Amino acid sequence: MLALVASQMLVFNHIHLFGYATPLVSVYLLFLFPLGTQQWSILLWGFVCGLLTDIVSLTPGVCAASMTLAAFIQPKLLKSMEPQNAAEDMQASFHTLGFWTYVRYAAILTTVFMLAYWLVLAFSFFHFTDMVLTLVGSWIVTTALCLAIEGARTRKTVM
Amino acid sequence: MHSLLDFIARYYHWLLFLLLEGISFVLLFQFNHYHNSVWFTTANTVVGQINAWEQEAIRFVHLHEANRALTERNLLLEQQNALLREHILELNHDSTFVEQLQQDMMENMTSIPGKVVTNSVLRRDNYITINVGEADGVRPEMGVVSGTGIVGIVYMTSTHYSIVMPLLNSKSRISCRLHGTGYFGYLKWEGDDPLYAVLDDIPRHARFNVGDMVETSGFSSVFPAGMFVGKVSAIENSDDGLSYKLIVHLGTDFGRLQDITVLAETFHDELHSLEQRADSLAQQ
Repeated sequence: MLALVASQMLVFNHIHLFGYATPLVSVYLLFLFPLGTQQWSILLWGFVCGLLTDIVSLTPGVCAASMTLAAFIQPKLLKSMEPQNAAEDMQASFHTLGFWTYVRYAAILTTVFMLAYWLVLAFSFFHFTDMVLTLVGSWIVTTALCLAIEGARTRKTVM
Repeated sequence: MHSLLDFIARYYHWLLFLLLEGISFVLLFQFNHYHNSVWFTTANTVVGQINAWEQEAIRFVHLHEANRALTERNLLLEQQNALLREHILELNHDSTFVEQLQQDMMENMTSIPGKVVTNSVLRRDNYITINVGEADGVRPEMGVVSGTGIVGIVYMTSTHYSIVMPLLNSKSRISCRLHGTGYFGYLKWEGDDPLYAVLDDIPRHARFNVGDMVETSGFSSVFPAGMFVGKVSAIENSDDGLSYKLIVHLGTDFGRLQDITVLAETFHDELHSLEQRADSLAQQ
């Protein structure tokens, strides 16, 4: 978690692709909670991670609220995508869920997180077009980065 | 209590979720100027709207009381308005053209102002009671006028009250003429509209128009000549076809009649006494 927060603070907060796309990789933390994890535990981890990200990004409450929301739906989402005969403590990955199912899982979770994050941050629809472009751009970059991190993690585990 | 604990145990993650979101939003509104201002603006709007609804509800609850107070106030103002109107009428009593005309004609007449006590316009034979009587100098067969035209003839008198036979009575016959022509006839009421009467016996060769003024002829001592009665509103043939029957729009609105003036000839008593003596001598 600390690595994610540190990378967010030191690297990703400074990336604004085409002026719109900013990756928010903190959400990747939520991908890692296996099936059967206590809901309160995921909520607290998500909240704390979001809060730390807020502190380093100077956006108090924005990431915390978004991460808490994403943490709230993560167990239900993973349960709905769980393959047959999966282990009770199955952790989501390319191997356990399959590539496309994992991509779907990551995309949905990231979408919820990004929607909440940018809506709370903008808190209005005055610059709707800019907001949509930022949201879509950030979502694409964040999802791609999360998938890349997951790919690297999976390869490392296999090796 | 057990149910409450059971509920909390079952839905604790919902409660935790709401708690954490609550903390997040508190931080959001507390430490972000933009969100803080939006929050306060929205909160103020919402609070203002709720306060407005509350005030509306309170006003609605107290509407009955306000209504009663308004009714009382309205009655008071109506009374004041009536008094003021009466006062203005008294102050402007001789300001209208018709009244000025009537006063010019009343050189040999004494006027006795009075008020209508009872009145009716719906019967075939209407009578009006006025608040002046013998004590004020009123005698039977005196003329009664209002500010806008003639009213009728005094029928009976008591010490302080008199009964007037108005135009709106089937027995009333008042000699009238068409202004400026000299053609005269008898004005009578046919019992329909209290605003219209009929002037009979206008000869066929008379020339006149709708809108011409009808006035008293002066052929009796009741009304002096030239007092405004009304205006011709329609011309019809009489029943026998030998004369015209004029429909006259009366100047006096009997439905709203309040102030009247009794016309007393200055030497009415002397004249009456002389006539009586002459009658008695003739009988001898």
